[in-house]
Amino acid sequence: MRLYAALALAACAAPAAAIFEDDAYHIDFHYALLGLPKHDATFFQKPYAGSKASLLYSISENQTLGAINPKDGALVWRQRLPPAPSGTGQLRCGHEQDTIVSAAGNSITAWSASDGRLVWDTVTGGTVEDLEILEQEDGMANSATRDPIVLVADGHASVRRLDGKTGRAKWTFEDASGDTPFQVSTSPTAIYYIALHTPLLGGSKLRVTFLNPVTGKKLDQYTLNSDPEITSRDRILFAGANTAAPLLAWTDKANKVLKVNIIGTKAVSSFATPGDEAVESIVLHAPNHVDSLAHFLVEYQTAVGHSADVYHVDLKKNTVAKAYSLPQLKRKGTFTTSTSDANVYFTRITEDEVVVFSSVSHGVLGRWNVKSSPVLAGAYPVHGQSEVVVKSGTASAVRSAVLYSNGQWALLRNDELAWTRPEFLSGTVSAVWAGLPEEEALAQALADESHRNLVPAYIHRVQRHMHDLKYFPAWAQSIPQRLLGSVIGKPRETTVEDIQHDTFGFHKLVIVATEAGRLAALDVGSRGKVMWNMDLNEFAHHTSFQHPILKAHSGYVEVKDANFKGSVFINSTTGGLLSSDNIKLEVPLVSKGQGLVSFTLVDGTLKGYLESKPSSEPVWSFTPATGERIVSYTARPVKDPVASIGKVLGDRRVLYKYLNPNLVLVVAVLDSSRSASIYLLDSASGQLLHTMSHNDVDISRSIPATISENWFTYALTVDSASGASTRGHQLVVSDLYESPLPDDRGPLGANSNSSTVQPSGSTGGVVKPYVLSQSYQVPVEITHMAVTQTRQGITSRELLVTVPSTNSIIGIPRSFIDPRRPIGRDPTAQEQSEGLVKYAPVISFDPKWHLTHKYEVLGIKHIITSESGIESTSLVFAYGLDIFGTRVAPSFSFDILGKGFNKISMLLTVVGLFVGVLFVAPLVRRKQINAIWKM
Amino acid sequence: MKTSLTALGSFATFTSAARFLLQIPTTHLVNPSTLPSTTHATLQASGPPLDAYLTRSNTFNFNNVSAGSYLATVHCRDYAFEPLRIDVGVEEAVEGSGEQKDMIKAWQTFFGNEWDNKGESRGEGGNGLVIDARPVVAKYYYQERQGFSPLSFLKNPMILMAVVSMGLIFGMPKLMENMDPEMKEEFEEMQKNGVLGSGSTNTAQQIQNFDLASWMAGKTDSGNANSRTQSPAGPAKKR
Repeated sequence: MRLYAALALAACAAPAAAIFEDDAYHIDFHYALLGLPKHDATFFQKPYAGSKASLLYSISENQTLGAINPKDGALVWRQRLPPAPSGTGQLRCGHEQDTIVSAAGNSITAWSASDGRLVWDTVTGGTVEDLEILEQEDGMANSATRDPIVLVADGHASVRRLDGKTGRAKWTFEDASGDTPFQVSTSPTAIYYIALHTPLLGGSKLRVTFLNPVTGKKLDQYTLNSDPEITSRDRILFAGANTAAPLLAWTDKANKVLKVNIIGTKAVSSFATPGDEAVESIVLHAPNHVDSLAHFLVEYQTAVGHSADVYHVDLKKNTVAKAYSLPQLKRKGTFTTSTSDANVYFTRITEDEVVVFSSVSHGVLGRWNVKSSPVLAGAYPVHGQSEVVVKSGTASAVRSAVLYSNGQWALLRNDELAWTRPEFLSGTVSAVWAGLPEEEALAQALADESHRNLVPAYIHRVQRHMHDLKYFPAWAQSIPQRLLGSVIGKPRETTVEDIQHDTFGFHKLVIVATEAGRLAALDVGSRGKVMWNMDLNEFAHHTSFQHPILKAHSGYVEVKDANFKGSVFINSTTGGLLSSDNIKLEVPLVSKGQGLVSFTLVDGTLKGYLESKPSSEPVWSFTPATGERIVSYTARPVKDPVASIGKVLGDRRVLYKYLNPNLVLVVAVLDSSRSASIYLLDSASGQLLHTMSHNDVDISRSIPATISENWFTYALTVDSASGASTRGHQLVVSDLYESPLPDDRGPLGANSNSSTVQPSGSTGGVVKPYVLSQSYQVPVEITHMAVTQTRQGITSRELLVTVPSTNSIIGIPRSFIDPRRPIGRDPTAQEQSEGLVKYAPVISFDPKWHLTHKYEVLGIKHIITSESGIESTSLVFAYGLDIFGTRVAPSFSFDILGKGFNKISMLLTVVGLFVGVLFVAPLVRRKQINAIWKM
Repeated sequence: MKTSLTALGSFATFTSAARFLLQIPTTHLVNPSTLPSTTHATLQASGPPLDAYLTRSNTFNFNNVSAGSYLATVHCRDYAFEPLRIDVGVEEAVEGSGEQKDMIKAWQTFFGNEWDNKGESRGEGGNGLVIDARPVVAKYYYQERQGFSPLSFLKNPMILMAVVSMGLIFGMPKLMENMDPEMKEEFEEMQKNGVLGSGSTNTAQQIQNFDLASWMAGKTDSGNANSRTQSPAGPAKKR
């Protein structure tokens, strides 16, 4: 059996273009993202007690947690948690522990802090509202492991103490009062459970329950009269801090008054917020360390700037008093807290400055002017975390991980920017290819010329060439350097700065739109460098972009959104807004007497409308068989060049491809009988061309499908419930031909002038294709498919599939999924010459097919491909949570010299041959003379 | 097959929540402590698969697995693992006692084979069963680049041919000189008779008459020979 499997593997190990080791990490790039970090769940921490360096841990808004190396911003490890409502993830870490504990949805998980392996996990009955680590017990530090305290809401609230080693519950406190659970907080003597008691009318009262940390028994309870202020949950600013004096702070709706309660006392201190400007938001920063001073900082954000007050808690008197104020600055900024022994430091971070204060007095301990960087241009800090080193009363070093308003997560080390991570890209929902500025400008100029008369066009061209001449000296000067560089073969990364040397067309921009309404351009040829990054919401007041849809035109992109009427036009090279009357809308070329048909899914029915009359009655509509539900539909790409209209067989006969440009593949499932149907439609007429149906399909899993050239493919998962004889996942590939017979054009044969490319042109009705299918078993589930694209379509295609279980993108060569592979026999000599191999039911994914090689791409939702400047190579860009880009050459890079081409040895060979000729020439001459004399 | 599955189906009526772990043993191929933390295992039967992360002790813990027949796969960046079939069912603890307990059985399985086609047993037992998940082969993602080496250059058939013919051109006169006078005479005789000479001219002629067009059109050598023997028929047809 194993031998059989090995043979199957060997059969598949025929040559296919793979990635060269020296190309990996050069031609491809990967942003291993976490997502926007959550403020209260991000911290610097040592991965184990006694470790020298600390790591930066975070859980993001989309429940991805990970550790980042603060030195270079590289990802150390990360784990994606099962989906839960956005921003509800929690992450906590005990002091000097080697585990960190996360909670999301209904699961609580402890991870090894240094490598991200699982330590334990438990699943609770309800959602986890809050998570804290019990640092001290009866005033004593718990030596071995710290136990997490969780607050679970499942109908009613319960507080549990879990064993830090195994995750099992030590005790559970049930709260049957029906209050809304809010948070838990710990102190050395008690656990405080805070709930919102909401009477029928008015605001909420805060109810604090004291629990014994050892037994979980209720010790005491009190209620705070907070109902005038707390109208909704988000009015509560802060609860907790594992300090000697945990705090509870809230504010009223207008942010006019700040109320603070030291948990454990009933007294409420009231403070007025600064009155000069309307305070938009208040953030309370308090140290999270047990032994630190009980000082805290309240940050006030206004529309134009920010200010802060520092408060001290008197533990003996149980009072809160304002210590000093930090003046308002007329620019945006944020504060961070850090501790060192018992001392507390506050760091003020603005766009251009980092200032460190001590919590005791308002004296400045350290001040750095941050060097400006183009990455952070125009962005302001939103929140951050800091580590401060203080020596003899002055701050000698500070590093802060700061989230900026443009979605970049950056680390500031003193005055310099150490690294940035473009975390905003993690929510990419749409992406399109756009040309580079130079290409676009030239295309524009050429288009101008073609619209003019002959004479002005000629003058324009001469002028353009004269204008171009000014670049000549610089270009000529650069020649020797370039030649030398290319011969000596320095591993220089030419790609990054000099875009004008883009001879091969590898530099293409991808414009991406995120779910938060950000738009950015990445250069795929320069390892995904972010060219610009802007916020769409600036242009559209009162609407928020949720799921922008992009469409590329020459020089600009069109942005549409369901929440927004009309469209926004953005210059694709600069990111600037274009007004709609500045641009020439491209009108699709339609000859007279023809109309464009567009189609959409309406109430489970696919309907085609005339583009000119979108509101009229549909031209056609397609409803699948009774009970079936359309899951997805895919159309053949608009730009899908095909080099040959037929497939040449081994005996030089031709199978004509069915090349209808209007093909649409519809996937529908029938929930009751667990079956899936695939329909092939002609989108111009709505006619059904072909149907396939599968039983025993696991319809809860994705059924990805794609269509290209004259073939389509889809993948599905076999459902075991009905006792299918096989298990696993299947890939089905179908080829479309005009006729089953070679050298025959099927129904088109009788016509003297007909083509499937113009299906409705001559014959009236659409000709049905001859479909050839084969299915294969694949070892892992496929969630998305795409096909490579090249300039002329001469290069053979590669099917790109996303495999989430191994976090990879795999390129399956087309020859392996050719439905003409002979079944049950060896291929004949003629079939061999076509490159067909014997059919094997399993396609095992060769590691060499992995485009992502050692990269682990998480959460990829979509892959887009584009042609490059040369025929052999196709550009690939994948997005979702991570961003990945590469280029592939499915038929090897036949039109470009690879890195393996040794220019020096070539030169040496030429020199050697020349020397050889010099030596041999006299010999030959002598021989010739001798021959003449012999005659 | 059918009966076993229906039996499994009937098991599902009991509330079964089996618990077992997959363990990666330390082998000469891999030290499991070096595996990346993205390594995970899935149990797939129907609907979303059960997923387990790699733990510190190199195991994958599956808790609360309901009765059924599962495909267990370990997904790892660096190594390929053998797929397993794991059946979870309920059995009577002691024959006739009526007391139910979970029963877990594991076998090797093979992609592209019928599900009933089980391989070697990988263990069976009650709750807490430890099943070995063995890595089969290390994944190697990269293609070797063929560098330039003088030896491979010399191995090229064209170069070999050139070297041999060079050897003949330069070596033959030397050989002739060193030959016995008698043999030399004999050889010259032979040349005169044209045994060697005619042969060589014949091959030269063949090369000159080589039909490039038909060769390009993909006609095999045998076909070529056939057409030559049946030459009167071939062109006649064309006309």
